[in-house]
Amino acid sequence: MPAGAGTVAGGVGVLVLGAALAGGALVYDMGSIWISVRAKQTGGESIRLVVPAAAGPVALWLAPKKHVREAAKEARPWLPAIKAAAEELRNCPDGPLVEVTNPHEKVHITKQGGALVIDVDDPNETVHVSVPLKMVGVIAAQLEAMPEPERGKAASEPEGSVL
Amino acid sequence: MKRSLLTLTAILLTATWALATENRWLHVKVEEGGEKAEIVRINLPLSLAEKVLPAIHTKELHEGRVKVSEAKFNDVDLRAILDALRTAPENEFITVESAHENVRVAKSAGNLLVKVRDGKEKAENVEVTIPFTVVDALLSGGKDELDVLAAVRALGAIGDTVLVTVNDKNSKVRIWVDSRNTID
Repeated sequence: MPAGAGTVAGGVGVLVLGAALAGGALVYDMGSIWISVRAKQTGGESIRLVVPAAAGPVALWLAPKKHVREAAKEARPWLPAIKAAAEELRNCPDGPLVEVTNPHEKVHITKQGGALVIDVDDPNETVHVSVPLKMVGVIAAQLEAMPEPERGKAASEPEGSVL
Repeated sequence: MKRSLLTLTAILLTATWALATENRWLHVKVEEGGEKAEIVRINLPLSLAEKVLPAIHTKELHEGRVKVSEAKFNDVDLRAILDALRTAPENEFITVESAHENVRVAKSAGNLLVKVRDGKEKAENVEVTIPFTVVDALLSGGKDELDVLAAVRALGAIGDTVLVTVNDKNSKVRIWVDSRNTID
């Protein structure tokens, strides 16, 4: 082994470890998205999904540019409000925000430990969704930062990642 | 003596700061009876409305202000009426009684009170209490606009208040402000 190769390998190792630690810290900091759908009928399908919230902005980054830009265009007028709401809700104490109860279904929207939790219970299924508010703010900011498509240009652009 | 005064001042300042930063919540509870039986409860932190309203920019709502065309008021000078109400003495000043409906508008303890009792089939009672500070804030914008953001800020500064109650045969609606983040 040539002299200094060990030092380079050590440096690369430190970089990889540092990147892994930073990535881990980011994933931990952003929390996770929980989605659970449980069918009540016998033989009905149930889905349970836990995704690191940090994957949300990455998925947006990887998604086809055309579709993301269209979504961003639709949502643009509301993005500052969504961002402000997510930020302010994070500062609010945990508790129920909306509760709808009728003979057919129960819908609960709650702020719980930095996440917006939505529970729906109807005769067919129970749905539980938990979305970290931090991720909502990050995605809203990400969409807001996208350049507005010029008229007639978006349709002719090739599909690909946003950046 | 000097130390006691300083301590008292510090306590008062801390209490004032605590009250000013206390979370205020707007609550809405709707109870529907009959075939469409349903209960809806909404708890909204006023601070959320304060942050979100300036961020909404639509044709009608901009910087927390709603554009209201003069036509919507049917040529009624709302500002002049409210100004007259504000400066009027504390008593009952408008009462309309008919076979079907009683309407009473009054000023009491700095609040604008509106009570409507509908004696017809619906047997509906509506009571609205709006502090004049909130009314003032709402009308503090331009001529044809309502400053909703200022009204929300004014709401945050008032004590626990029931703003609206509606009761009829099949439903109950209650809207109020307090410091709790839950309804029950």
